[in-house]
Amino acid sequence: MSPLATAFRAELAAVLGDKQVRMIVLLALILYAVIYPLPYRAELLRDVPVVLVDQDGSTASADLARRVDASEAVALTHRAPDMAEATRLVHERRAYGVMLIPDGFERALLRGDQSPVALYADASYFLMYQRVMQGAAVPLRQMGAEIEAGRLIAQGTPRAVATAQVSPAVQVEVPLFNPAAGYATYVLPAAFVLILQQTMMMGLALAATRRGPLPGHPVWRLMGRAGAWLAIWAGLLPIYLIVLPVLYGLPILGGPGALMMLGLPFVLAAGFLAQLVAALFRCGEVVQVVLLALGLPFFFLSGFAWPVEAIPAHLNAVAQLIPSTPAIDGLVRVTQMGATLPQIAPVLWHLWALAGGLGLTVLAVETRRTARQGHRLPT
Amino acid sequence: MLAVMAREIRLLPRRPALAGLVIVLPVIMLLVLGGIFRAGIPTGMAVAVIDLDRSDLSRAVTRMLDAAPELTVTHRASDLSEARSLIVSGAVRGAVLMPPDLERDLIRGDRPEIVTFYDNQHMSAGSLVARGARNAIDTALAGLRLSVRQGQGEAPVQAMVALQPIPMQAHALFNPAFDYVHFLLAALIPTVLQIIAAAATAYAVSLDFGPGRHPRVLMRMGGGILPAMLGKILPYTIIFLLILGLSDVALYGWLAVPLRGSLWLMALGAVLFVLASQMIGALAFVLTRDMGRAASMIALITAPAFGFMGLGFPREAMSTLAQAWGAAIPGTWYVQLRIDQSLRATPLDISAMSVLWLAVIAGVLAALILAQLSRLARQEAAP
Repeated sequence: MSPLATAFRAELAAVLGDKQVRMIVLLALILYAVIYPLPYRAELLRDVPVVLVDQDGSTASADLARRVDASEAVALTHRAPDMAEATRLVHERRAYGVMLIPDGFERALLRGDQSPVALYADASYFLMYQRVMQGAAVPLRQMGAEIEAGRLIAQGTPRAVATAQVSPAVQVEVPLFNPAAGYATYVLPAAFVLILQQTMMMGLALAATRRGPLPGHPVWRLMGRAGAWLAIWAGLLPIYLIVLPVLYGLPILGGPGALMMLGLPFVLAAGFLAQLVAALFRCGEVVQVVLLALGLPFFFLSGFAWPVEAIPAHLNAVAQLIPSTPAIDGLVRVTQMGATLPQIAPVLWHLWALAGGLGLTVLAVETRRTARQGHRLPT
Repeated sequence: MLAVMAREIRLLPRRPALAGLVIVLPVIMLLVLGGIFRAGIPTGMAVAVIDLDRSDLSRAVTRMLDAAPELTVTHRASDLSEARSLIVSGAVRGAVLMPPDLERDLIRGDRPEIVTFYDNQHMSAGSLVARGARNAIDTALAGLRLSVRQGQGEAPVQAMVALQPIPMQAHALFNPAFDYVHFLLAALIPTVLQIIAAAATAYAVSLDFGPGRHPRVLMRMGGGILPAMLGKILPYTIIFLLILGLSDVALYGWLAVPLRGSLWLMALGAVLFVLASQMIGALAFVLTRDMGRAASMIALITAPAFGFMGLGFPREAMSTLAQAWGAAIPGTWYVQLRIDQSLRATPLDISAMSVLWLAVIAGVLAALILAQLSRLARQEAAP
């Protein structure tokens, strides 16, 4: 049998035949797919609890409270007589915001003065803060506009002119690709790519540390191995990136063709990187722990959750050497945003460059090691 | 027990893999995570403008957009499909459409639409773009409304007051600078440390208690399996606490995260957290007696732990099952304690609950390890 075919078969056996490697690659798929998305199943934040401190107790303050309570984002679930009691509720995490309507709210409005309302939102939770602010700002603005228009009409301005003067243009916001701002829709497509890379690298690195010597030139051996990876992940990649998202009810816009075209260099690059990690650490157990610890930093380095605009340039340059960085960007754009291959050509080239560069490095390392072994054991 | 501890510390420099895991890896993680978030709040997101009006007004809005700290106008698109393509390819994160005759319709009082499109798949960046655009357009329109009122003969101050009958005074509780970095880092560092502490402890235990090893030597040295186990674990507890302390010095010193609560409660929580994380590793190993399988077990519990802590998607909004799973992980309570005591200045009686939970988790884990160890000892005694 040719060295290429031998290496191909040996790698297939090493991944699918070894109990531990098989467990990492296959069991991880099932368990990660169940455990990881668990926190995000609820998708949306509705009716975030907010405390109302109504020091005015007037018709106008009750009207404002009713409007805020009716918004989808927040619900006025508690009432407190003062800020001290309201803050205590926030500390206990029973509420995430306080709306304070000061004494004299209605009187100031009737007099035609400005009548401010204070909103305290818990900024320890970014999402909660956003929802509380959103939930209160829209009704406040609306009530303000009605009052301004009412005053103009009272001064004798025609109704249509008054409305146009209060809000001369209509602001429309159109969120694309994740219109409902669902958290699972946002985070899972990227997380699945990262989990795929980490489990794949763990399995392949473990297989690499346990590999015995094989015949033939390193080029044939490496090509044989790469063929085995492609054969295995041609099945696993669509499971992670198409089947799982469909099971979780995530929208999918992209076609499988573009997905596989991006997946090809991604699998190769991650496989080669796994060989290098294995050569660096040698011991299988250590490799697993290191890759485990690197998962979160890799995710945040990819520039998906934490915008790339905010990552320091030198760290971002290092991040480009990790296959997940371009892969998360490219695959999310293809599956969630319906990008075509020409639209993400730079990402595709980036992944191929990584696959090529990492492949050559592995080849250099293995050629040197074969040469050294040859010196030690002259056959 | 002290003899076992002394031996463990003496052996550490001779085991480069272990020393790398417990010292080098956590320090690198600290540097990388600190580096990623050092810049603080993201600014200058690229947006495109589709200006079909080309009037003074549309140019003023474009200027306002570019002046917003969140945004930079990098592209001008001639139609919607061009803008969409720019968003899909990642060249920009959003686009603002100003329709033809915007200025004329606005002066006539026809209330034309200004539309902001933004990429909400990348939600963190997208919501920043939406906020930046909303504020910029509001500012541009407020300027217009002000000049209309002044044109009608109102004094500037009076006109300003009239524009906003109910102004909202927004206060960001516990985080006045609205710097989310504090919270992310305060949670990410314990999450990564939890993974490393569990895995490294399992690995250290495997070196003496694994198949083909001779735990008897250790047991004789320590006088029993419990002191032997403690002597094995405690040196790493000290190392991890030192690393946690180092990260705290960096966070509260270098990055100037406020520290408003009780240091003692935080320190007590840190000791319980490190011990509980280590015991996850020790338990995984004594249950499986195989480092590979133990590592997979540790991975399942600690790797997805970040999501369950509720920093991104809050715990209170999760399903009961997800809340329960999160409650069983030590990191969840430790991160809550850290945030409560460092930033929120939570009253001690509320925060004590987190410490209590940590103690319960540590106690249950210790009991499980002891039960399994005594079972193994009985198995070895019976030939």
